[in-house]
Amino acid sequence: MDQLTDVLTAISHPTRRAIIGQLANGPARFSEVAKPFDTALNAVTKHLKLLERAGLIERRKQGREVFISFRGEPLREVAGWVHEYERFWNRRLDQFEQYFKDKKKKEKKK
Amino acid sequence: MRTNTGTIEFKFERTIPASPGEVFDAWLNPKIPGNPWNAAEKFILDPKVDGLFYWTLNGVSHYGRFTEIGRPVQIQHTWMSPRTLGQESIVTLTFKKQREDTLMTLVHSGLPDHELARGHEKGWNYFLDIFPGQFGNGSRKEQ
Repeated sequence: MDQLTDVLTAISHPTRRAIIGQLANGPARFSEVAKPFDTALNAVTKHLKLLERAGLIERRKQGREVFISFRGEPLREVAGWVHEYERFWNRRLDQFEQYFKDKKKKEKKK
Repeated sequence: MRTNTGTIEFKFERTIPASPGEVFDAWLNPKIPGNPWNAAEKFILDPKVDGLFYWTLNGVSHYGRFTEIGRPVQIQHTWMSPRTLGQESIVTLTFKKQREDTLMTLVHSGLPDHELARGHEKGWNYFLDIFPGQFGNGSRKEQ
């Protein structure tokens, strides 16, 4: 799968979005990440694996502890993908509208 | 992995100072700036029901099939590009007379998505709220 698909998959689940929201406040240990969720630790591990595959989190070892932190970069690609259609059509329609406005101005001058 | 059938839809409106017939014709005329074929480096356009189109820009190819041609009221065609992730999205244009002008509406629907479709506004506001600076300067006008 490409990264965009991985990111869309990763942010499609409310628990994973909640994890991202939590990590946006700063790096956390696994136990801290898992604490707010009423779900098995195994399930949290699976969510973290999907987030990691999408590049949305990274693990960093500090001494004997592992800290998980948020990476926002891949979300830009998603935002760009979502916005691309909006930008595309707005640009095209603006040009289209302008063509008719210019045409009308020219006709008035005649 | 969970598969999802959600889609995104964009809606745009423009008031064009011309009759619906003129606007309709201009949209299908590659010489007129603004329609998708005008900017293409190469295009094929067969605007009739079941007619196909192709255009490419910056190495990105787009394909579609016209599903409705109702001059001067409506045009509908499918739209496929690498950005639709191999799925057919739908572009519907309607032209409605408004005094001397035409209200032109373009709806691009069926864009593949995951859960972003139903929670799109909520989802993006959520992300934009918690990750200021992570996104570009694009603005959204969802309807």
